Amino acid sequence: MLTLGEVHTGLLQNSTSLSLEHTTQLLDLLVGERVRRSERPIAYVVSPDQLTGVDCLLPTGTGSRTRAVGTVVSHATVTGGHVLQGSTYTLVGRAEVNRRLPWSHYLSRPGRLETIGKVDARDVVRGYLATGSPSQVLNLGAICARLIDAVQESTRLDRRPPFRSRRTRLRWAVLPSDDPAAEAQGTFRVESETLRTLELTVGHDDVAAVVALCEDLALHDWLLTTLLTLMEASLTAPGTRAQKVERLRPAIDCLLHLWMPAARLDESVLPVWRALERRPGFTRQWESSVNRIRDQVTLSTIALLEASLS
Amino acid sequence: MLIFATSDKGGTGRSVTSSNVLYRSALQGSDVCYLDFDFGSPTAGSIFNINHALRGTTRGGLHSYLDGAHGEPQRIDVWAESDRPSLRDRPPGAGRLVLLPGDSGGGEFPTTRENIERCARLFLRLEEEFDVTLVDLSAGRSYATEIVLAATARAELRSVRWRWLVFHRWTRQHVLAASGLVHGQRGIVETGIRHGHDRTRLTESLRFVRTAVVDPDSPELEGLQPAQLAWLRACNQDLLELASRERVGRTLVLGSVPLDPVLQWREQLISDNDVWARRIANRETVEAFDSLAKRIVDDTAWETL
Repeated sequence: MLTLGEVHTGLLQNSTSLSLEHTTQLLDLLVGERVRRSERPIAYVVSPDQLTGVDCLLPTGTGSRTRAVGTVVSHATVTGGHVLQGSTYTLVGRAEVNRRLPWSHYLSRPGRLETIGKVDARDVVRGYLATGSPSQVLNLGAICARLIDAVQESTRLDRRPPFRSRRTRLRWAVLPSDDPAAEAQGTFRVESETLRTLELTVGHDDVAAVVALCEDLALHDWLLTTLLTLMEASLTAPGTRAQKVERLRPAIDCLLHLWMPAARLDESVLPVWRALERRPGFTRQWESSVNRIRDQVTLSTIALLEASLS
Repeated sequence: MLIFATSDKGGTGRSVTSSNVLYRSALQGSDVCYLDFDFGSPTAGSIFNINHALRGTTRGGLHSYLDGAHGEPQRIDVWAESDRPSLRDRPPGAGRLVLLPGDSGGGEFPTTRENIERCARLFLRLEEEFDVTLVDLSAGRSYATEIVLAATARAELRSVRWRWLVFHRWTRQHVLAASGLVHGQRGIVETGIRHGHDRTRLTESLRFVRTAVVDPDSPELEGLQPAQLAWLRACNQDLLELASRERVGRTLVLGSVPLDPVLQWREQLISDNDVWARRIANRETVEAFDSLAKRIVDDTAWETL
């Protein structure tokens, strides 16, 4: 079934890593619903799912107008006490009748959008992944952004982040594969400094596995993007080596230990990660950046030692 | 940090000075953004030479964002989109310089709870990514001023740092008007307290910036007659006394910007090229901007005696 989603990733606005206990309270957004958490291999907390009702046009590449009504699911996650994600997705299918039904109908099908009239899945995916999105059209990004805002607004956070960083957005879409046994495949694109898209073809119908994959990919893409930005700012700015290393300190303090690709993913979506590791090679770039930072630190230490000996 | 720039009257050089200060701040390595909250005449695009937003944008600016028309106001990356060659390409070591333009044909609008919430949310989002967010308000008392005062008084912004800069020219009328804007009826302090601000924090977070200042001791005035110079000195002395009586005195001044012909003729960013290669702008002007850029974020410059 056609699935559309978006994940926004940013830095939790707190000076230190938030403990598992505090994170759980932070993401307790719905009364009576349980916050899920796990400690291994990395602290990870997920808020309860929230539903947002929508009645809007679907984005299309050709500009044809298809109206869809239903609900989208979203939740927030915090990884390692530092990285905050807002994730939203919905499944799109054709309604049985060509008119809007009472809300009770849509509420009994959480996370599903029903189109009024026929829909061309490929056309919707093309329109959805295209960068500009006109108003009146399904905007999952706005729902993600609001969810992140809601968490960041919390007075539990001290709002003294160790560094400034931008949120990144991963917009993703799944086209069902004709062959149910086919291996999952994905095309990942960096569209702009903050927008990435992922087009997936999946044989099975395990939406949760796909959502987890997209969140994991978005997390690691944000880590890499943020680390590269910090490194560029540190290494191009004027100043002594010690000052440059000082500017890398937040990266060492809060980012380097968070790299754990595919830690919690289902076997069925792993082929997508494996392909991305071959090219462009996320982990390869991450490791070379980490080594570069460590080399800078080492050189700075040597310089300090030499200065103290002479 | 949020910086609110306001002025007692129009024509003080508030927008051009604050844009130049922000530009210097970016060159010094900070990630900065400029919000054009002058909804009546959103012309910040012209200072940054953004040709498609000279009089505000048509693609969803701040005004329509606050009005709820869309979820995110348009952003313009000045290093990438400016039509002035010397602003193109980010210099090495410089931070980001982003403009959030107003809408063309915006106009003022009343302060509603929704507008204030959207404003607070925007400030928090920008705080996540920028070291300095400068909000250029319109001159005098305005709805925009009231909205930002109400937004910064909200609980979720309590730990966000903000400061106010009041720009005024160095004349009798402007000194009186600047004092009135801050301390007078429906002034910044009174409006702030009405929205829940603490009087001490608000007054301690407020400084004045004098613009288009003529220094009577400047060597450039050597051509004047002795009688003219004496008169200028006496005026300056009068003004100093007036300013101090009106609580616009020396201890509350964050900086002053000298009169510069380039700024008088055209509101623009003064690049190093304008000073050193073309020699059309004065070195002192750029130094004043540089110093202000450092002082707006320097806590020691904001300590009260």
